[in-house]
Amino acid sequence: MPICEECKSFFPIEEEPGKGDCVQKCVDARQTYFTARVVSADHDASRCDTFQKS
Amino acid sequence: MAEPALKSDIKDFEDKGQWWWAAEKKRSKRLDYLRKAVWRKGSTGGAPISPIKLDLEPAFRWIEFYKQFKCEPQPLRTAKIMAAMWETDPIYIVDKSQIVGSKTPTPSTEGWEGAGGMANAAVYNYPEILPEPMEEALRKVHEVGQFWDAEGDGMSRLISMADPEDIAKFQSGAIAWGSLIGGYSGKNYEYFMTGKRAFEDIIEEIDQYIAEAEEKTQGVSNPDMLPLYQKIINWEAMKISLEAGIKLAGRYARLARIIAENFETDPGRREELLRVSETCRRVPARPPRNLQESLQYDHFIQVMARKEQPEGAWPARPDYYHGPYYDRDVNIEKNITKEEALDLIGEFLIRAYDMPVVLAMGKWVREGLQGIAGTWVWTLGGVDQHGDDACNDMTIALMQAARLVRTPNPTFAFRWHPKVKDNVMREIFECIRHGLGYPAMRNDPILIANAMHWHRHPIEEARTWVHQACMSPCPTTKHGTQPMRMASATANCAKIIEYTLWNGYDHVVNMQMGPRTGDARNFTDFEQVFAAWVKQMEWLFSLLTRTVNFARYVQSDVAPRPFLSGISQRAVDAGIDVMRPDGERGNAWITAFTWVENPDSLTAIKKLIFDDAKYTMNQLMDALETNWDGYEEMRLDFVNQAPKWGNDDDDADNMMLRCLKECARFSRELKDPSGNSWPILPENVSGNIHYSSIVRALPNGRRQGDALYDGGISPGPGLDKKGPTAVLKSCGKIDHITDGRAFLLNQRLSPTQLQGEKGYQLWRAYMKTWADLGIDHVQFNMVSDETLRAAQKDPEKYSEVIVRVAGYSAHFVDISRKTQDNIIQRTVQGIGS
Repeated sequence: MPICEECKSFFPIEEEPGKGDCVQKCVDARQTYFTARVVSADHDASRCDTFQKS
Repeated sequence: MAEPALKSDIKDFEDKGQWWWAAEKKRSKRLDYLRKAVWRKGSTGGAPISPIKLDLEPAFRWIEFYKQFKCEPQPLRTAKIMAAMWETDPIYIVDKSQIVGSKTPTPSTEGWEGAGGMANAAVYNYPEILPEPMEEALRKVHEVGQFWDAEGDGMSRLISMADPEDIAKFQSGAIAWGSLIGGYSGKNYEYFMTGKRAFEDIIEEIDQYIAEAEEKTQGVSNPDMLPLYQKIINWEAMKISLEAGIKLAGRYARLARIIAENFETDPGRREELLRVSETCRRVPARPPRNLQESLQYDHFIQVMARKEQPEGAWPARPDYYHGPYYDRDVNIEKNITKEEALDLIGEFLIRAYDMPVVLAMGKWVREGLQGIAGTWVWTLGGVDQHGDDACNDMTIALMQAARLVRTPNPTFAFRWHPKVKDNVMREIFECIRHGLGYPAMRNDPILIANAMHWHRHPIEEARTWVHQACMSPCPTTKHGTQPMRMASATANCAKIIEYTLWNGYDHVVNMQMGPRTGDARNFTDFEQVFAAWVKQMEWLFSLLTRTVNFARYVQSDVAPRPFLSGISQRAVDAGIDVMRPDGERGNAWITAFTWVENPDSLTAIKKLIFDDAKYTMNQLMDALETNWDGYEEMRLDFVNQAPKWGNDDDDADNMMLRCLKECARFSRELKDPSGNSWPILPENVSGNIHYSSIVRALPNGRRQGDALYDGGISPGPGLDKKGPTAVLKSCGKIDHITDGRAFLLNQRLSPTQLQGEKGYQLWRAYMKTWADLGIDHVQFNMVSDETLRAAQKDPEKYSEVIVRVAGYSAHFVDISRKTQDNIIQRTVQGIGS
């Protein structure tokens, strides 16, 4: 089972072991932007559309 | 918006008055990108909002945290839920941006938290704002709704405690506008924005208070220690909120660094992102050191306060508080160029433009604030606490940036005083000439005196005033700041004259609303009419102010504001939730929508029925009953033969003064939670359109469905027939210190007449007359009929045309056709001619 920690988009949070930022580059009709949401390192990523093994 | 087909240069655009195209060519590529990147957050006319959609996920997270912290005392529960939300909310940084922070999960969505009756009602009524697939979204909405139906949210708890008859009348939609929780916020800038302290300093102060209180609670039992238990809870809640704020900023710092180190290939942008990261590490934890940090600090605070609870206003004084950093960075240390500063300031405006209030808002909000999310009226100019001119280079830079980015929201209102320099006045005039509709002009000496008169603010504190919502001056000091005036003290005043004539009965909503003051057909002299009018006025203002007083009194129990408390010195020092009125002087005002219909209708009744005896009360009531249908000749008499406000006609003007003085007398009897008065403030936003179908036919000749007058003391469209000086003379008869809190005056000026230096000098002469007459407010539309009519025909081509509605500006294409027509109908004043 792939987990978030194994993904290219996962950036660990130093102050909070076991957690990281899932950072994605997004483009909508008006702009480019980067999003971040906090995820657990061991979160199941098997259903994640954007998972990319690092 | 596509590039214009025209190949003319900037001067050509300016010569044609196409300021929006000229601005696009003049601004930096960064500002152009960021300005066009914004997904509009305001409504289009009365229709549901812009293309942005709700994100339903936060509602489920909120419920999860609510269950987790349910057993905590209320302020701690709120603070912990909020902190947990801020730790888990998605955040984003837009390419090219240097100022970060948003209330929304993505640029084109808004998070729905589920608790809150008004938002929920809108979600059910306007499913087009829900994400696809619709069926699943509706199921989620239902699930969240069921949870809060069982638990009860802050609003429902508050309503359950209020008087049912008051609530039923308030909720009828006929007499009032607004919500019992939330409304027009205030900020104690003198506490957190002077560079002396930031969040870590406040947390230290709080820790000290907690330590002292805990020591006392461990002493010999006595009743004095009892309040300390609650205070400790309040302080803990404030501390959690401020720490959550620092942590949220830290998340942006982290994201900016991740982008710089992992995604960005351009070295210049990488450097910018690292600066953004450093800025977010610095503020709001510690005081800013430069302009970018100062703007970011301010913006973070606005975002956080609005994530805590919706805020429909944005009191601010950006030149006063950011000016010293601008001066140091640009003039003294030359760390950045003027152009770089303009980029930061322009983006600061864009970030505010991008701020929503509540996407899922009710019809009354959308129609009353067409085209915008909230009334972000920022204050410029004025005097400092010593009475000296407070204008600085940031004042000018803000106006220059506004002309480049042309945001309809925020808008500026300028505190004019006799010491304002000519170069600043020229910048103001340029903004108005460019058709922005702002700055609105405020008479600083008059409004400082007004604040001292009504709310007893000491002069040094009164001089710190900022606009709370569109018009009301509020100090930014410990005891002078009013943290919130619930929007519900907003009266549809045309109902006063309507109920006077219909014995307190509302035939639109079919309810006995006001007191039974007698069958108007039996009135035999004007004094009977006026006495009934006074009773209806007293009833309406009493009901609305009761609801706000009550909400202010209980909000700390049902919906506390630990974050806002943590940045308010009065709350920090006293260990209370800021919504409690203890130690506050208050800044209450009754927003008087649709006001001028009252004096004009009363004047018409007095003149045509009792003075000239041309008609009888029976005839008038028959005509009004049929909405003037079949009585056109008589209606035209009531329009044309009765004098109207705004023509320097003593008969009409004295009626206005008599009505205002009655209100002022009663305002002194009405007390806010601080014990101070409730003066009225006539203005309209676009309530004159919203209420047009709710107010019946009136004796000024208006039919039900016709737009109501647009301003607070503006003459009716086309009814000011004697020119601009007569308008000013009428307005100058009002005592703008003691007759009310402030008075909104809309005027339209001719862009053709006011071209060039001659135009500027004409405007200066007009402004001198305005100031000499002691009028507190005036704002201008300076876009030609030709442009506005062209925009009606070809909205795509004119999508960036901005107009002043009333108290705010909006893109012309974002307001309803009826509002557009109402603006076009306003008399274009030829000044000095």
